[in-house]
Amino acid sequence: MVEIKNVSFRYGSDDAGVKAKNSLKAVSLTVSDGEFLLLTGPSGCGKTTILRLINGLIPAFYPGELEGQILIDGQDISGRELYDTAHRVGTVFQNPRTQFYNVDTTGELAFGCENRGIPENEIYERIDDTVSRFHIESLMDRNIFHLSDGEKQKIACASVDVSGPGIILLDEPSANLDHASTLALRELILHWRKQGKTIIAAEHRIAYLWDIIDRAVILRDGAIARELAGAEKDALTPDELTALGLRSTVMEAPTDVQMPAFLAGDALIRLRDFHFSYRGETENIVDIPSLDIAAGEITAIVGANGAGKTSFLYCLCGLEKRCKGVMEYKGAVYDRKARKKLCFMVMQDTSNQLFTESVLDEVLISLPKNTENEKDRALEILRELDLDDYLERHPQSLSGGQKQRLAIACALASGREILLLDEPTSGLDHAHMMETAALLKQLRAMGTTILVVTHDSELIHACCGRLIAF
Amino acid sequence: MKQENKLKGRDLINVGIYTAIYFVIMLAVAMLGMIPIFLPLLSVIVPILGGIPFMLFLTKVKKPGMIFIMAMIMGIMMLLTGMGPWPLLTCAVAGILAEIIYRSGEYKSAKKAVLAYAVFSMWIWGNYLPLFTDYEGYFAQRESYGQAYIEAVQKLMPLWMAPVLLAVCFVCGILGGILGRALLKKHFEKAGIA
Amino acid sequence: MAYSSAAAQGKRKSFLDPRTKIALVVILALFVLGSLGGPRMEPVKTGLSALPFLLLLLEKQWRRFLRGLVMLEVGYGLLGALPYLPGTLNFIALMCGGILTRFVVTIVMGEYLISTTSVSEFISAMERLRMPQAITIPMSVMFRLFPTIQAEWKSIRRAMGMRGIHLGGARAGQVLEYQMVPMMTSSVRIGEDLSASALTRGLGAPVKRTNICRIGFRAQDIVLLLLCLAVIILWLIGFFGVNLW
Repeated sequence: MVEIKNVSFRYGSDDAGVKAKNSLKAVSLTVSDGEFLLLTGPSGCGKTTILRLINGLIPAFYPGELEGQILIDGQDISGRELYDTAHRVGTVFQNPRTQFYNVDTTGELAFGCENRGIPENEIYERIDDTVSRFHIESLMDRNIFHLSDGEKQKIACASVDVSGPGIILLDEPSANLDHASTLALRELILHWRKQGKTIIAAEHRIAYLWDIIDRAVILRDGAIARELAGAEKDALTPDELTALGLRSTVMEAPTDVQMPAFLAGDALIRLRDFHFSYRGETENIVDIPSLDIAAGEITAIVGANGAGKTSFLYCLCGLEKRCKGVMEYKGAVYDRKARKKLCFMVMQDTSNQLFTESVLDEVLISLPKNTENEKDRALEILRELDLDDYLERHPQSLSGGQKQRLAIACALASGREILLLDEPTSGLDHAHMMETAALLKQLRAMGTTILVVTHDSELIHACCGRLIAF
Repeated sequence: MKQENKLKGRDLINVGIYTAIYFVIMLAVAMLGMIPIFLPLLSVIVPILGGIPFMLFLTKVKKPGMIFIMAMIMGIMMLLTGMGPWPLLTCAVAGILAEIIYRSGEYKSAKKAVLAYAVFSMWIWGNYLPLFTDYEGYFAQRESYGQAYIEAVQKLMPLWMAPVLLAVCFVCGILGGILGRALLKKHFEKAGIA
Repeated sequence: MAYSSAAAQGKRKSFLDPRTKIALVVILALFVLGSLGGPRMEPVKTGLSALPFLLLLLEKQWRRFLRGLVMLEVGYGLLGALPYLPGTLNFIALMCGGILTRFVVTIVMGEYLISTTSVSEFISAMERLRMPQAITIPMSVMFRLFPTIQAEWKSIRRAMGMRGIHLGGARAGQVLEYQMVPMMTSSVRIGEDLSASALTRGLGAPVKRTNICRIGFRAQDIVLLLLCLAVIILWLIGFFGVNLW
């Protein structure tokens, strides 16, 4: 049993923004053995903070001011060492790329047990047991860097399973997953449920869990806003969900969304001979003899993890040297180098494409040389994107959504006509997802052609007009 | 509250993170060092660029031992990449001295941080020691390369260069430390990772 | 048949124990690269130089073997061509040839160590060598982060290409800063995530860690370790002035 008794917490960061957000105010919550609890609510509502209280990362790893008591099976865990809590609580984190410690999959599964000093033969038995129950024979003895995000997340779950904790925490495990991998994740969770594990999940994408949870706790501004269980949970209408700031509870595969790829009257962008393979591999991951894209529209690009969607975007904006394809647009032919000046890609991790020390500088260096009234133009763009309150902030200190906006501002400043986005809404709550959708529609009205790679059916419905399935 | 001085998992992981960044930067520069003209320049470029991750690393150092461990790992990495055992020795000495200096500033003095880094940088000198400890033998080995080569290298690396290079490591360490502090203020503190 | 991790670990074992490989790297660095013992050890040096190539063949690392061999050939080729080359060219050939013939052997040995040893094997070896956790934990984090840093680096350079920031561009002086700052920010953030994940799985517990990876000395390890010992003894004999040949 997990008991959180009247807990308040403030992160010990010097950054006032972080301090105010994400904190908890006198939260009390009890999770009984074998229960499956969902924590949800808008970004910054404190759901991840609650998980960190239970696995002990707060206060051991993230210091701050903590009041109240956290009990696991009746014992107070505050002041305990993390490795003691690790026996009872296992956590699957959001980002599949950053949570594994080993380079090989088998080593990753063994990691928790090795740290505890469990004898080698017993670890072998435990691994074999987990592998057969999770059906992941084909993933064993592989380099984790060569797995897709969905496969990595399976390994993360398996690694928790091998350690065999009674309480399993899931911190937005589906944020980077495609539809099929999300369903696979659901199967693993159901398996744990059958074993009688206590499961606590923090999620925005609630659709894949909604019918298998016992109870949903909705948080807002660090306090519990509402608890739903049983019939009340099932009877919730879409409007009520939106009012609570939640995403849809209906699961829909992006590939099932009915939308045309290209309409007869559309202005044409034609791609020819887009082929690309990773170095040392014979099979092409991008293999497009010819593709028509609607200029001036928002086109969704959907498909499974590892189907080559991101590689396609890289080819399109001219960053893959070995892709020799050309683009016909407005009566001209653009080769790789010419496309570099025409397209702009907002990467999945936008922090790698922001370089300067302030938001304003970031836009200034994007403006073409010899722009008149540089500063006024930059300010104008930032105002349009609602970033004018952050002019002097360091780009790396912005939130994920703000970084995305800033990257788009740079694209506008450099006068690019085609904007590519890679998974812009992974890990965003309903309100932020709708903001992104509104922004894309605004850009479209300004004449920009937009291609967006996404697993998010809600985003597709909210703003896309065309859809290409890979 | 008295700070506990025993290194924990998190401290050790931090050592790993910053040693990895430092090592990658060094490796990128060392590729240049394969060309003999650049060999003396290693003691200039590595300390200057290395100051950037090191100054950030020092903001995480609050307990004794972390700097020394980083130094020892650099020594081991040098051993594994075939630079021989000399760096292991210079790393141990430079590591202990840097540790003492930074500790004397109670793990927060900026001036001591720069000084500690400059002293730490002197480990690089160990890479030159195979040449200087057996100067005659080193060149006797290379007689087959012809007099022109030997003269060129001897001109570039006369024996008196040994103390000079050590001093260069130290001075460039100071410069690198100052550069690292500047970027810390300009970027990393504002970005919220310092 | 059901998956057996124990069998899989056994199968993966490479020809040599990692400890033997480390010993060989050190011996090669000392005697081949460092020319310890001077001309007297020349025959030993030649013999040792062949060793890494032999090992690469045994592990079926054809590409690395060929690449090393080609580099070595080029080196000796350049040295051999010296009499026929004029002034400056002669000097350059000499330099490159000299470096190649000296460094290639140790580099090939280092490559062999890295390409045939998994991180867990390496850590396991370090643990058996009684290295404390204070060394093995940071080193395992390093090996884990190298591919990540490389990937971040690539992604940043691409992003710079897209933003039109080049060396030699308008703000060339700042290119370095633009590369270093996001690279370090990303690496540190990834490192933080990594720490959180590792700590919730009990890293750093004050117990004796176990390791599922199977390493151990076999006949070939003993032979090569004895060889290392022999080389050292030979050198010591020479050091104390006894002349064998």
